[in-house]
Amino acid sequence: MASVYIPVQGTEEEVRVALDLLPTDASDILDILKAEQAPLHLWLIIAREYFKQGKIEQFRQILEEGSGPEIDDYYADVKYERIAILNALGAFHTFLGKAERAPQKEAHFKDATQYYNRASRIDETEPSTWIGRGQLCVAKGELQMASDSFKIVLDDDGDNFPALLGQASVYFLMGDTEQQHKKALELYRNSLELYKRALRGYADCPAAVRLGIAFCRYKLGQLDRARQAFDRVLQLDPENFDALVALAIMDLQTNEAGEIRSGMEKMRRAFEIYPYCTLALNHLANHYFFTGQHFVVEQLSETALSSSSHVLLKSQSYYNLARSYHSKGDFETAGRYYIASVKEVNKPQDFVLPFVGLGQIQLKFGDFKRSLASFEKVLEVHPENCESLKAIGNIYSNLGENDKAIETFKKVTRIDPKDHQAFVELGELLVESDWAAAMEYLKTACILLRKAGEKVPVELLNGIGLLYFEKAEFELAEQSFKEALGDGIWVSIMDGTAGSSMVNWSVQYRDQSLFHQLEENIPLELPCDKVTTLFNYARLLEELHDTVKASHLYRLIIFKYPDYIDAYLRLASIAKEKNNIQLSIELIGDALKINSKYPNALSMLGSLELQSDETWLTAKEHFRDAKDATEGKDPYSWLQLGNWNYFAANRPEKKAPKFEATHREKAKEIFLNVLKQNHGNMFAANGLGILHAEKAQWDISKELFTQVHEAASGSIFVQVPDVWINLAHIYFAQGLFQQAVKMYQNCARKFFYNTDATTLLYLSRTHYEAEQWQDCRKSLLRAIHLAPSNYLLRFNVGVSMQKFSASTLQKTKRTVDEVRATVSELQNAIRVFSLLSVASTYHSHGFDERKIDTHVEYCKHLLDAAKVHRDAAEQAEQQTKQKLEVTRQIALADEARRRAEEQRKFQLERRKQEDELKQVMQQEQHFERVKEQWKTSNNTPGKRKDRSRHEDEDGDSGKRRKKGGKRRKDQKTRMQYEDDEEDQYRNEPEEDDYANMTRDPGGDKPEKAPDHLLAAAGLEDSDAEDETGHSQSVMERKRRAWSESDDDEPVQRSVQPTSPE
Amino acid sequence: MKLAGFKSVDGAHEDSIWAAAWVPAADHRPTALLLTGSIDETVRAWQPDDLAVASPPAGGHALGVVSLAAHPAGVIAAAVSIDSHIRVFDVDSGASVTTLDAAPSEVWGVQFHPKGIALAAAGGGSGSVKLWDTEKWQPIASLPVPRPEGARPDKTGSGKFVLSVAWSPDGKLLACGSMDGTIAVYDAVRMKFLHHLDGHHMPVRSMVFSPVDPHVLLTGCDDSHIHIYDAKEKGLIGAMSGHASWVLSIDVSPDGMAVVTGSSDRTIRLWDINARASVQTMSNHSDQVWAVAFRPPGGEGVRAGRLASASDDKSISLYDYS
Repeated sequence: MASVYIPVQGTEEEVRVALDLLPTDASDILDILKAEQAPLHLWLIIAREYFKQGKIEQFRQILEEGSGPEIDDYYADVKYERIAILNALGAFHTFLGKAERAPQKEAHFKDATQYYNRASRIDETEPSTWIGRGQLCVAKGELQMASDSFKIVLDDDGDNFPALLGQASVYFLMGDTEQQHKKALELYRNSLELYKRALRGYADCPAAVRLGIAFCRYKLGQLDRARQAFDRVLQLDPENFDALVALAIMDLQTNEAGEIRSGMEKMRRAFEIYPYCTLALNHLANHYFFTGQHFVVEQLSETALSSSSHVLLKSQSYYNLARSYHSKGDFETAGRYYIASVKEVNKPQDFVLPFVGLGQIQLKFGDFKRSLASFEKVLEVHPENCESLKAIGNIYSNLGENDKAIETFKKVTRIDPKDHQAFVELGELLVESDWAAAMEYLKTACILLRKAGEKVPVELLNGIGLLYFEKAEFELAEQSFKEALGDGIWVSIMDGTAGSSMVNWSVQYRDQSLFHQLEENIPLELPCDKVTTLFNYARLLEELHDTVKASHLYRLIIFKYPDYIDAYLRLASIAKEKNNIQLSIELIGDALKINSKYPNALSMLGSLELQSDETWLTAKEHFRDAKDATEGKDPYSWLQLGNWNYFAANRPEKKAPKFEATHREKAKEIFLNVLKQNHGNMFAANGLGILHAEKAQWDISKELFTQVHEAASGSIFVQVPDVWINLAHIYFAQGLFQQAVKMYQNCARKFFYNTDATTLLYLSRTHYEAEQWQDCRKSLLRAIHLAPSNYLLRFNVGVSMQKFSASTLQKTKRTVDEVRATVSELQNAIRVFSLLSVASTYHSHGFDERKIDTHVEYCKHLLDAAKVHRDAAEQAEQQTKQKLEVTRQIALADEARRRAEEQRKFQLERRKQEDELKQVMQQEQHFERVKEQWKTSNNTPGKRKDRSRHEDEDGDSGKRRKKGGKRRKDQKTRMQYEDDEEDQYRNEPEEDDYANMTRDPGGDKPEKAPDHLLAAAGLEDSDAEDETGHSQSVMERKRRAWSESDDDEPVQRSVQPTSPE
Repeated sequence: MKLAGFKSVDGAHEDSIWAAAWVPAADHRPTALLLTGSIDETVRAWQPDDLAVASPPAGGHALGVVSLAAHPAGVIAAAVSIDSHIRVFDVDSGASVTTLDAAPSEVWGVQFHPKGIALAAAGGGSGSVKLWDTEKWQPIASLPVPRPEGARPDKTGSGKFVLSVAWSPDGKLLACGSMDGTIAVYDAVRMKFLHHLDGHHMPVRSMVFSPVDPHVLLTGCDDSHIHIYDAKEKGLIGAMSGHASWVLSIDVSPDGMAVVTGSSDRTIRLWDINARASVQTMSNHSDQVWAVAFRPPGGEGVRAGRLASASDDKSISLYDYS
């Protein structure tokens, strides 16, 4: 049992103080020490003993007493011990300062500094003071000053053990804080050198010294030697858990299962030796985090938290807890712990991981601003951390700051040109603004993934495919989609092996038996990440006009995912394109069963219903539902409502004109509203143009149409054939026939492959007005060829021939050929009219027999007249021929004579020429006579005049006829609607694709379609006009837009039979 | 299976060409002839290899020729024009044989019976197929197209406008197609309606039976599709898509392996019937292709298969089929 003997003053006696029995109250000992004026080293010994026993207060009491002013006085000569006491106090405060937090920290450091100052005052060369100062500086983090202090000692005594250790640790710490790797290594090397020196001097020094060596080796990357050193420490001190932990960490870092196991074993041992080693606890927690034993993680972390006051380690413990909750999906708790962890960290530099976690949690909760701040903290430490940059990029794109997001991702690609994720993000951000760049980025991402030997994700290939699709690069798009889809049942559908076994596919769109059959042989797999791509591929096939295969794919989608609503709608649209309206409605019904508020389905249903007399009223309901389903934000559904109103205004139902005006007003209002919200909405502008055109406000409507026309020509996606038609109508109305013709022709060629009979009808009407009878006739014949069952066209062609004949006969000069053509045209006209007349007995094609008969009669009459003319003309021709022959012979004779009598014939010849002239005059006179004859023959029938007047009246009152005409109009409208709507829906679901791939569809595309309606309606109107233009039956309808041009027509016609004056 | 462009004549007619038909070789004429009909109201005849003019254009086809058919004996042919007259004429002399009409109804597509004993014409708005014997040119039958079960009443009557007709190669079946997509099949021996073939809802402008399988009917429709039916068993056995617009004309190769279609999309497509797949697309025409026709086998110096096409662009083209 160790004891201290305090010599009793003035005697030889000593007081024995047993060190393990020191009194709890230090005052007792102090009293003795003071009373006996014990040597100061005894004070120190006793104080140190108190310290060892953890009796910090007593330790302090003795030392503070032992450094008091009285002692200074009394023991003035005893320098070393006094310094030792002061240094001990300095070291003590340094220790406290290290452990405490600010502001106590500062106070302790201050105290420590003061003690060292006092010690220095006693003897400024004392090495231990400098060493103490050095330690203090280390504690305060002032490494350079610490180094200076240690160097002072070492300069004096190069082997001073504590100074060596101190300096070694300074180098080590400097190495830790050094940014530049090379310099840091240099510092570690220095540190190692010093530790070695220290060890050489004191071979039996505590094992801990070897730890320094081991750590240096570790830092220098000499892992094996580091391991040796740690092992040595453990040999000397098997309980040294620092070494254990260090070895454990090294084991863990090997990342090999066996090593990790032994590492964890060591950790566990360290934990057993000293269960409060925070580092070990944290590591264990970390380990169990990765093995997924979250309960253990939490236990360990909590122990670590309670056992450590070290901020960083605490922060780590919180982090472990947070991470544990994070991965369990308890984001709120995780968030709280991350925040706790972050709070423990003074500078993000110390421990940055919790900021990442916190940022992620905040991102998860949509707290973009805070999340951004967290990640920016990470960037302060690691400005080139790609993960954080990408997170920030995502935040920006979420906040709608696309430019910043793009900038951020671009930075990532600069830092790491192999980060495919960043390229994907960039591509998707640029999809809408910069096609080429987006393509480039997505392709790069693809190449990177391929180079890295990774599988290119379906979404990426899908995105590339869509971009190609958008640019109409169908082959490339197909390649991408195919690659994305890989192998599967769709391959056999594409190469026809699966599809061709299908029976009655187009009749039984909803028949799924094929798939059931197929499924018996092979399992039909359609992974859910491929559905969107498959859908897009089907859309592409539609675009390539391979609707058969497209519909197979849609049906496959429905078979596997019966709720995939867009597939139903595409099938409905295909059915509609094939004019299978009933099936189309059924399919939309299926879609609505899945989601009764699906706007696209509602819109589609509405437009289908609009085509039928029975359902056009309910169409409005569905348009309205669609509008409500999109909360009125979708211009498309608004446009449909506008169109419906326009359509309703033009319905031939019996109604007060008031309603017509209301509908028109309503339509106008809607179009204006849509335009207000979307300035570039071509369809609303087109609709507005039509409404203005109906009021004959040509300038406004022309302006509108021209603008839309220009805008539409600049875009490859938006096709608005109607605006071409409308513009042509305006040209027509303004009498600019040539332009109108050009416009109609271009439109027919550009949009309809010249298959649109209606456009040809407009064309013929324009020719008619321009009195280009042959062109008019030809346009109509082409139209008949396209639509042989349209009797209106046949009627019109009859009229055009009649008109041609009449006008030819009216000409003052005409050739025999012309007259002959007139005769055959009249025969044709009669044939056409008579066929119509007879056909009307079993067809209600809407023409009044009597009217046709009138035409027939008139044509017959013309024919008679024409025949007379023809005969006359032929006779005249004959005579002319004969005379010419005579003349020629005379001329020949002349010539012969002339040759014979060359010298004197000039005068004679002149006389002959005069004769010829006379003959010609005679001829002309003959022509005049013929004309006279013709006029008189035409003037006779006064009753015809009556009839034509009667006809007009009849037209006004003849309700039956009027009805007929209108019905036909409806029919036509219906036809038109069908065509238009096909387009409409062809485009529409495409947006859904986009939506599927997370691209915002935006409000622009949906408008595309509806205006077909508009124009359809618009056309329809002029269509009716057209009809009236040729057939007088619906004359009274002329009050509207086209009135001017039409009005002179009946006048002409009624005058015709009697006309030529 | 491929087509190779062989010879083309631009401006073969003054205006759009709407119809084309091969006249088979005959005893008096060792080679086949190609007939074309146009909106210019003429029918012209062309030599089968160099497309040299075989005889002067025959006029009088008022309002434009919409359909042409040649008698299998190679002597006479029939041309239908919009004035609804069928003008039967001697191919070599151009002399008129007879002029038929089915007034008051229109006439559209025409086809001779494979043995040449009858002429069938699509009867337009009468909703029927009209038949004449080819000896005395007397009408022998008018086969109406019944309304399909469950179809909605047709108010306008224009829906049943019959556009196209086709005889099966054995002469046992007769089919017709109409504006609303209805296809009717008749027993051509008993002159009796058999059934409808469903699947089209738009005008069926052209149809042809396979020369090797007398039950297989191929149709071209405005819905851009080609359907393959078993006309006897009333079944749709295949469908092919790929044209961007109406399918205007269709013909089957003499070997029965390939189908060729002409479309409003200005292309001609070659299809493999068995694979149900498009094999080739020809884009030499610049407007709608109204007629495609394989030259019938037989005649002097005929080695490869030959196809003719005619278009709105006023040109006719020949192709080697191999």
